[in-house]
Amino acid sequence: MSELILQSLYSGVLVGGVYALIALGLTLAFGTMRIINLAHGELVLLAAYIAYTVESRFDVNPLLALPIALVVVCFCSAIVYFLVSCIKRNRELNSLMLTFALGMILTNGVLLIWSSDIRSTGNATMQNALQIGNLYSMVSELLFFVISLAVALGLGWWLSRSWYGRAVRAVSSNRDAAKLMGINPAKVELVSFLVAGVLATIAGIAIYSSGVISPPLGHSLTIKAFIITVLAGVGSVPGVIMAALLLGITEAMTVTLLSSALQELAGMVLFLVVLFIMPNGLFGAIKRRG
Amino acid sequence: MKKFWWLAVAILYLVVPYLLKGNSYILSLTVSALIVAGIAVAWALLGNLGGMISFGHAAFFGMGAYASALLTMKAGWPVLLAIPAAGVFASFASLAMLPALRLSGPYFALAILAYAHIFRIMATQFTSLTNGSGGLSSIPGLPTLIEVDFLTGLGPYLLGLTLVLAFCLIYARVRSSYYGIALRAMHDSEDATRVVGVNSVMLKAWMLMLSAFMTGVIGAFNAHIINFLEPDYAFNGSWSVLPIIAAIFGGYRTVSGPMIGAIVIYMLDQLVFKSMISTGHQIILGVMLAAMILFAPDGLMSLFKKRKTGDNHVEA
Repeated sequence: MSELILQSLYSGVLVGGVYALIALGLTLAFGTMRIINLAHGELVLLAAYIAYTVESRFDVNPLLALPIALVVVCFCSAIVYFLVSCIKRNRELNSLMLTFALGMILTNGVLLIWSSDIRSTGNATMQNALQIGNLYSMVSELLFFVISLAVALGLGWWLSRSWYGRAVRAVSSNRDAAKLMGINPAKVELVSFLVAGVLATIAGIAIYSSGVISPPLGHSLTIKAFIITVLAGVGSVPGVIMAALLLGITEAMTVTLLSSALQELAGMVLFLVVLFIMPNGLFGAIKRRG
Repeated sequence: MKKFWWLAVAILYLVVPYLLKGNSYILSLTVSALIVAGIAVAWALLGNLGGMISFGHAAFFGMGAYASALLTMKAGWPVLLAIPAAGVFASFASLAMLPALRLSGPYFALAILAYAHIFRIMATQFTSLTNGSGGLSSIPGLPTLIEVDFLTGLGPYLLGLTLVLAFCLIYARVRSSYYGIALRAMHDSEDATRVVGVNSVMLKAWMLMLSAFMTGVIGAFNAHIINFLEPDYAFNGSWSVLPIIAAIFGGYRTVSGPMIGAIVIYMLDQLVFKSMISTGHQIILGVMLAAMILFAPDGLMSLFKKRKTGDNHVEA
């Protein structure tokens, strides 16, 4: 039994790494523009399907889809940004409905192009089993966990050290003051959406390489990413990573100990409990949200 | 203006049934459109007066449907009594969401979405009561009223129409009442409204419960028409999505907008979009919703109306 629990902990952590990437993208966009991009999960889905196409067309490792997926997803992310920035009145609620509509368009676009069949990778090297001690995983799972962590840490470094990263944080904390300091907020917001697109691309390829994809997945990924941002509270990179691991572990544990039908329920319940007991998130600064 | 509305209602009750009775396909589509319209009015009430965007009205819809189906099948209640009771059940279910009222904007929207998922999973898991994903079949249908019996199939239309018009009336009444004024003030500044003694959380809670009641009634009504329920159908996301698009399209800050929007959108979706693209026809709805938010967030109807200066927030 304890082996089983250890194994599910391990799987949960590995999945959590990819969740962290998706949630970080959502948080970045939320930080600069104060909007929840409900189409973010669909961007991940798009990257996953591009990986599928590249793999099945050219018979190569899905990782090689990265360049083309980056271009397409970042382009879509930029479109989301431009459309959202067109909203002038009542932005908080209207942007929510707008990005929801964009998510619908993306999901149905994917449905039209790739049909509703379930897809998964056929690449043998990615699917090989990998044993560490008593714990098993696929090669791709561990590989992408490492990549995700590296990217997340890189993002943390970028936010704290580089000029653009600092500008993103400046715009997040006070848009007007940042403007007075000579930062162009519109440009910074665009950059944050592009970075979110990069994160979504990597996450999408990771999800395709280590699991199955189908069009409705995008919506549930958006919800998961949102749950993580709420768990993490407003904005720190380590907080988001911790919350993502927590969600991954909770889901894996639910599947192992209870039933796989309850997997999504576990995340929702965790979300609601944290939302009501600790509205500032597990790792967030004290900030009024209601 | 008032005369115009009376005329419209008279046409809906007297002329439209006469036109529809020959074509049972269009008639059933109209009834479905009225169901979407009912949710759209409930959604607009919460969105406009409560200032809360909900992506989870499917939760109330499914709750009402299951409550009414179980009351009639297991407890033997008459259908016409079970339908309002189902609304009450849905209203009680919304009490579970009261803590979410503390949350603003996106947090409320996503919390209610989470509730809808939880309800769906619970309906799937409680197999002893709901028969899980096997579903409930042979739910009793609506009783045939004597006077409309000879117009075959018109009973559901007339009942649905009455429900939706009643919802519109309630929406209009609440909006012009004292509570409507308080809620309108809350839009401008929630803090200032609380300072002058309005219990804003309580008001929002009433709006949520009223909206849930309406949606539950409509869900029950639908269950007795199609006579079959399963969780993925009753709690389907499209019960949340279609009404949003309909309400935005018609203008959710007006009384008649959501209803007109629902009928137009649903008919377009079923008759035109579906024949254009069969699998992904929702893509057109997505494009329409995005375009509406970008170009006419107050609805298409508002484009034709003369703009009153400074009062484009909530019209009373």
